Amino acid sequence: MVVINRGAHAEPGTSLEFKTGNWRSSECPVHVHAKAPCHAACPAGEDQQAWFAWLQEGHVEEAWRELVSKNPLPSVTGRVCPHPCETACNRTSIDSALAIHNVERWLGDEAVAKGWAYPVEAPAEDAPCVAIVGAGPGGLSAAYHCLRNGLRAEIFEALPEAGGLLRSAIPPTRLPRPALDAELNRLLALPGIKLNLRCKLGRDVGLDELKHSHAAVILAPGCGLSKEWNIDGAVPTDLHEGLHLLREFMDHGEFPEARRVAVHGGGNTAIDLCRLMKRHGVEQVTLITASALPGPDTDPEDLINVVPRELEEALEEGIEIIEHATVKRLIMKGSRMTGVEIVALKKLLGTDGRMHRVQFEGTERVVSVDMVIPCIGERVDPEGMHNLMNRWHYLDARDRWSRTPQENVHAIGDARGDRGTVAEAIGDGRLAVEAVAARLQGRADPVEDTRPEMPASGLNPVYFGRISRTAVPKLPVAERTFEAEIEGDIGRMAALREATRCLSCGNCLACDNCWVMCPDNAVIKTAELASDGSHYVFDLDFCKGCGICAKECPTGFIQMAEDTWHEGD
Amino acid sequence: MSDNDTDQRAERLAELREKFGRHPVEPKKPFHQGASLRDRQPRFCALESGHRACQGCGEALAARLVMECAGPDVMVANATGCLEVFTTPWPQSAWQVPWVHSLFENSAAVASGMEAAMKARGKNTKILAFGGDGGTYDIGFQALSGMLERYHNILYVCYDNEAYMNTGIQRSSSTPHAASTTTSPAGPERMGKRHLKKDLLGIIAAHHIPYSASASVAYPADLQRKVRYAMGINGPTFLVVHSPCPLGWKHDSHLTIEVARRAVECGLFPIVEMERGELANVMPIREVRPVKDYLALQGRFGHLMKPDDPRAVEELTHLQALADYNITYFNLRGEGEDPADTVGISQVARDRAAGEA
Repeated sequence: MVVINRGAHAEPGTSLEFKTGNWRSSECPVHVHAKAPCHAACPAGEDQQAWFAWLQEGHVEEAWRELVSKNPLPSVTGRVCPHPCETACNRTSIDSALAIHNVERWLGDEAVAKGWAYPVEAPAEDAPCVAIVGAGPGGLSAAYHCLRNGLRAEIFEALPEAGGLLRSAIPPTRLPRPALDAELNRLLALPGIKLNLRCKLGRDVGLDELKHSHAAVILAPGCGLSKEWNIDGAVPTDLHEGLHLLREFMDHGEFPEARRVAVHGGGNTAIDLCRLMKRHGVEQVTLITASALPGPDTDPEDLINVVPRELEEALEEGIEIIEHATVKRLIMKGSRMTGVEIVALKKLLGTDGRMHRVQFEGTERVVSVDMVIPCIGERVDPEGMHNLMNRWHYLDARDRWSRTPQENVHAIGDARGDRGTVAEAIGDGRLAVEAVAARLQGRADPVEDTRPEMPASGLNPVYFGRISRTAVPKLPVAERTFEAEIEGDIGRMAALREATRCLSCGNCLACDNCWVMCPDNAVIKTAELASDGSHYVFDLDFCKGCGICAKECPTGFIQMAEDTWHEGD
Repeated sequence: MSDNDTDQRAERLAELREKFGRHPVEPKKPFHQGASLRDRQPRFCALESGHRACQGCGEALAARLVMECAGPDVMVANATGCLEVFTTPWPQSAWQVPWVHSLFENSAAVASGMEAAMKARGKNTKILAFGGDGGTYDIGFQALSGMLERYHNILYVCYDNEAYMNTGIQRSSSTPHAASTTTSPAGPERMGKRHLKKDLLGIIAAHHIPYSASASVAYPADLQRKVRYAMGINGPTFLVVHSPCPLGWKHDSHLTIEVARRAVECGLFPIVEMERGELANVMPIREVRPVKDYLALQGRFGHLMKPDDPRAVEELTHLQALADYNITYFNLRGEGEDPADTVGISQVARDRAAGEA
């Protein structure tokens, strides 16, 4: 008979057999790779957090490759983009946003200087070919993403040079032509992209013909015509439209004679034009805009739609801006203009629930000018695409993949009417090609990234000290010419320093906090990458669900979720 | 003696062994030599998972952090208290080093004996003595004082969770002023504990031992540096580690580190180092917080969060004055930014080596 007593059976045991006993909460930690807000805000779809991570590790070329996996023109967007990524940056809750824009430009220039190869392979000889109309940023992005998706691309451009509005409407002070050409030529030299210049839709080639000969058609014509402008039916006899003037100036370097000019509008074209005219010697340049200048209480909906630093520079250079106003009457002396009558105006919600521009009687005043230039926006040149136009004179694109009512035809970029930046056009190009590729593979839609966004409240700011933002060199007002680039290069040291400021929102930066601070030793470190891209795995056998790891995770990569652990897992 | 007698004796012995003795068992496989991820952790794990500590236990965390850098060649004498109870419920143990459970009051004395025994056997094994604040500030205090006075080569670590948590949250001499416990309840008579927290480090300093320091679980890097430093000293050393107790302090379990951090940042728990009883180093506070930020997270100070109650306001102001006193006395404000101050020591960055193949 076996006699059981305590002494006989006190074999040494390990608490590892006990696991958590009955100590479990209803939650357990999980790794969640949420979108960084910069990524979520980027119209081109770049994952800034991902390429800053490469920079933090000192891998500059890898950073560039990650960047151009979405945006093939970083040297361009690094100069012209209004950088919504910086506006969204969570670092503003600690000190100030990262200089993402300037680092992007440095990376783009570095790639050009070092000749790094784009991460694409030549498509197969018999790969389907996509027709792209327009070689602006949208069309070029579409062509590039064709290669990334194994397709060939044929671009049809009406002008003798590729570049679209990058060449025709953006002044060299913002985008020097050598920088533009360097990046564009590298892109266009990729095998699998065929560029037809001086080939205009409706004149040299027809839409139906393209639909027939190609697997899909992507229309990226941009907005080539100015919107019609008049004041109660009146226009000055020598009316010059803003975009037209800008193009003329780019070609010939001349503006019509004028001493005092009023520009009516509120976009980047208007600001560019104001600054060029001022620099050209016009005494007084006044911008009359219906929107508001940025201020502490400005409603974002009402804010003037201009790159903030451009606005800042314009004010530095002495451009006068009259906000919340519109031109009410032209004052003529014979056929000569002597002034404009302006009136205060605001966008207000009407009884019908829509926004209306309301003019306030009794606020009229006269600004004496001898030229008024409308810059109120552009519209699509409908030639060859008449049956795709909607009633607002834009192309009828209906979803995020820019599909039009016609099968296999996408309309992207400015021509959609609801876009307005280079980055949006680049993003449209990628999305449209993804939709084309998905269809060719027999799928309805491309896979969408539905991950949640990481808010600043999801981070633990305790683990990040303050580091001041890199100052960007700028040409003094007195030295600004028509050619010299105003914003300078920040350089390698500053770019890498700026990268150390990235908070890595929503992504693991391998800080070891979870591993060090788990009271139950339930976080296990791995030398290799774990399946979720971090260096840690949770051993839920021993996790009691206290939540310390989630609270102390600096980047919000660890979150608490419903406990799914079962005995014996 | 005949053969028969011998046989009978052997038989009887076998019978007794069967009845009372230990069964021969297969030797257990040593831990941490397998191929699983847990076995290949790049740190020494002397306090394994599966212990019975509550969720978010600051003491379990602190003990693990201490053991990690104390290293394998140690023996532990552990006073009665939470740490002893939750790590060693019969028949299991979470310890992977020799470990002795002493009485509540005598872990320092037991450790002294262990140290003397190791010395007699010519071994260099370092002895650690562990106790909670009850076993250190109150009950085990004379044993601790004796150990320090006799100059044993021992590192004594006090896990300070500021009350007798294991027996049901009774006040100890480490409980801060105005905290509510089961034996110092806040109510119409008193606003929590009437007396002040004992200045233990001051008393330890009076023993003029080579090294004594305070640390907090909120700053593991600082805590571990201090353990390593103490391990290198031949003589008595003392460490008090601020270890929040979610149950006794009445805060959410995920706030353990946050509460500990705020205790340091407001000045109520100064992080200092003393050599031979003289102040040698402090951890400066980069951004000093009001004590209210620290107290507001904890239920034990809930009675102070009543701006309309003059008694609550008085005690709150009293605690703020105590924190301000610490900041002035130890000069915790520092001079400018310091990589070892409360912000500097916490900073994280992507590990540049992590991306290397």
